[in-house]
Formats: sequence, C-alpha cells, structure tokens
Amino acid sequence: MNFEPRIVGFLCNWCTYAGADLAGTSRIQYPPNMRPIRVMCSGAVDSVYILRALLEGADGILIGGCHPGDCHYVSGNYKTRRRMVLFSSIMRSLGLDEGRVLLRWISAAEGKKFADTVTEFTEQLRQKGPNPFRNLWEV
Amino acid sequence: MAKSWFIKVQENNPQQTLRNLYAQWLKNEQVSALLVPAVSATGVFAPVLFSDPEKVSNISPLLPVMSVNAASIVAEIAAEPATESRLGVVLRPCEMRAVVELIKLQQIARDNLVLIGIDCPGTYKPGSISPELTASSDKLDEWINEFVSNQEQYLKDEHLRSACRLCEFPTPLIADMTIGFLGLNPRKKLILTVYTENGSRLLDGLEIEPTEDTNPERNKYLDMFVRTRQQQCEQKIADFDRVGIGYQNLVRYFAHCLNCHNCMKVCPICYCRECFFDSDVLKREQDDYVRLSRRKGLNRMPAGTLLFHLTRMNHMMTSCVQCGICEDSCPAEIGLSVLFKKVSRNAQAAFDYLSGRSLDEPLPLTTFREDEFREIGEE
Repeated sequence: MNFEPRIVGFLCNWCTYAGADLAGTSRIQYPPNMRPIRVMCSGAVDSVYILRALLEGADGILIGGCHPGDCHYVSGNYKTRRRMVLFSSIMRSLGLDEGRVLLRWISAAEGKKFADTVTEFTEQLRQKGPNPFRNLWEV
Repeated sequence: MAKSWFIKVQENNPQQTLRNLYAQWLKNEQVSALLVPAVSATGVFAPVLFSDPEKVSNISPLLPVMSVNAASIVAEIAAEPATESRLGVVLRPCEMRAVVELIKLQQIARDNLVLIGIDCPGTYKPGSISPELTASSDKLDEWINEFVSNQEQYLKDEHLRSACRLCEFPTPLIADMTIGFLGLNPRKKLILTVYTENGSRLLDGLEIEPTEDTNPERNKYLDMFVRTRQQQCEQKIADFDRVGIGYQNLVRYFAHCLNCHNCMKVCPICYCRECFFDSDVLKREQDDYVRLSRRKGLNRMPAGTLLFHLTRMNHMMTSCVQCGICEDSCPAEIGLSVLFKKVSRNAQAAFDYLSGRSLDEPLPLTTFREDEFREIGEE
C-alpha cells in the first residue's frame, strides 16, 4: 500500500484559512492529505499542539499565518516566527526532524499559493515516509 | 561602576568572617532580614530567612550544598513590593540568574530586595554529606573552610552535582554586591564588589581595604576555571549526543519517567500558578482514551510523558539557568542537567540571549523585531 502522509494544518482565521477557502472556490486541485484546524491567529498555536500531533503520529504539521506586517492582531505572527525559531532549535538539539513542521505565510488572496504549499509539503512528506512516532506506542 | 574592597578574614575562618558581616548588617539595620544557607545538627540543609543576629552561629554562608534553587524562595517571599522591610538575598550565580529571569517575568518585585551574589565553584546534594559532619558545627566549619580554600580540586571533583560540573558561571552575572573567594586565599581575605547604590550602602561601617576591581590573580584563576569547565561541558554534551538524541534514543532517555512533574515543581523558571499539564485541556474521558489507543493500537499509560518534557522545554528553555535542580528532584534519575544545558544553550543562542545576564534584555518570547528571521515562513 502506498504511504499517504497525514498533515494537521493550523490555519489562521484571517489569512490562510481564507486562502484555503479561495483555493476551494477557485476549484484549484490539491491533495486531500491535510486536515485543517481553524485558529484565530498563528500566534495562538502553542508548541504543545504541534508536539501532541507529532507524538500521536501526524506525519506533518502546517502552520499558516498572515504575512509579516499583516497580522489581524498587529504582531501575532512576529511572535509565531520567534516561537518557530525556538521550536526548530529544540528539535535540532534533540536530533528530531524539524522538517515535519512547516510554517508558511499565506494571505486570503493567495489561493494558489495555499494549494501549491499543500501539494509540495505532501510530496516532501511522501519522500520522508511515515513519522517514526507513529509506531512508538511508548512515548 | 563596579568597585571592589578586600575584607580581612579573622582567625583563618572565612565562614565566621561572613557570619560577623551578616550579623553587622542586621544590627545596623542595613537589611531587615537575610536569605542565607544554613545547616542544622539534625541534617537539614536549607536557605533560612535570618533576622536575629544572636542566632548567627546557625547560618553557614559558604555552604557548598544545594537543596533547592533559592530563587523559588525569593519568588515566594517577594512577589509583591514590600512596604516596610528590606530583604537581602545571598545567592549563587545560578540562583541569581533565575531571580533575574523571574524579575523579568514579573514574578519578583525588585524594589525592596538587595541582591547579594556569592562565588560558587559547585555544590553537593544534601544527601551526599555525612551526618557526622553536620553533627558538629566545628567540624562542619572546618570542612567548609577547607572546601573554599582548596581550589585545585573543584574541576576534578566527581561528587559535585552534575549540573555544577557543567557550569561555566562561578561568579554572579549581576548583583548589587558580590562576595568573592575564588582565586584568592579565603583564609586571609575575601573580596566585596559593589555594582549599585543599593550595594554600596552595605559597606557603611565596615573595616575594608580598597582594591582594584580587576584583581589579576583572581581573574587568572577564573579564566582557567571557566575554560576548563567549558571543555568538560563540551565533552559531556558529546557523550550525551551519543545516547540521547534521535527518536529512539530520546524515548530511551526518558524511558523511566513517572510523569510525577517534580522537575516542573522544583524549577524556579516554571512559575505558572497552574501548569498547562495540570489543567483540563489535555484531560480525556474513556471514549477519548480508546480513540487514542486505536491510533497506534496500544498506548503507554500514563499518556504523554514525552509530550510533557518537550512542551516544558518549549515553554521555559529561553529562561533556563541550568541549575539542575530538576535532575536532583527526579525519582527516575533522568539526566536532565546535560540535556537542558545543551538544549537551553542552543535555544538562547538563537536569540543572542543569555538567561540572567541582564535585567534590560527583554525575554526572547516577549519581544520581536520586524526585520529579523526573515527566512522563517518563506520558501
């Protein structure tokens, strides 16, 4: 059986979620591998939610936020950006694959970019193969 | 504006000299009380809140034993600004760094505290000290005076707490006043350095002799000390990398975790009144547990031990002071000191930050610049 990655998407209500909507209403095709979760701001995605998805076996995590400077709450995405720097640093220090977590700025007008991002990320994860935590029941 | 003075040690007894100094501060009402280490004949090692100069013989100013990170105590005492009292807190470098972080996290009110830092080449766990030593205060004093004088042995001492053997901060990074003995002969003299107005008030009425604030002999020793510790630390991190990193190794490293959360409870930086992991957010009912089990077919219980540790790292690594009290509290004896040393050092370096270095540097996760990390989130 071919491996199909499962991606959990945390999409900001004001930009990326609307971008996903635009991709849909524009009838742009993209792989059905992502399960979207609408959040009010990418800055509201605490690392615990990313880690919980990863440890319970999600193959990839996509966090979508407004472009820097465009945050509906003025500075939420700048904080997301710092938090990603911290998250990646910790993953690297522990020898874990930071490439399973992807942060992208996608605006409400970028339906095409949203579809392309999901397509590319899905393809990358197909190449990587399943998340090793998927079969580690002992975590 | 750092300025230094030598204080003469009486009768080759630095412990007693500092007792006299602290008692004098209390008698002259330069401070209302002091937070200092003490040992009881019954074997209790603890910071004490000391206010009666008559009881000075009970305190143990140079005690090389760490039972808690005293920053947690300062946070409990000084959460709000005091109206009447002035508290002097005598802290090791890692404890002082934690106090600085807690001040920035608005968990400690700086206003009526006098921050007194003291040199620390390393500490022992309370359980490793023989009861015979604590039974006799003379023997204990002599042991401590010998510990602070015999400065050749620190870098070889395998009995020091593991966090201490990784520590490259033998002197406080900031303080109102510091008390130093490293690189000196503490049977003869100690060095007092004041950095602030608050600190210089403690010099009133003392018999002291001015000296250069850069003491060449002391600096030479400290340079050697820090360089050697850094090398030893790199070696220990390399050893850790062989067994602790990567999916399988990390699971093995935390394999015996009981999910007791002691590491979080004793951590001075984990200040939240209610931890996320004690909240209802992650609570599951039977149906949810069964769903969780079906995801992998079987699931370790209690669930989420590694999730706890990885999340905790994300929440406090930018302020971690590497005091290692988490490791001391771990019933499963997980080697948290070296892991946290590596992870926190890298995390802080990513923001050009060092925990406890400055009261002015903002906490990495409470600030941002528009023109930084531009590559993050871009293709």
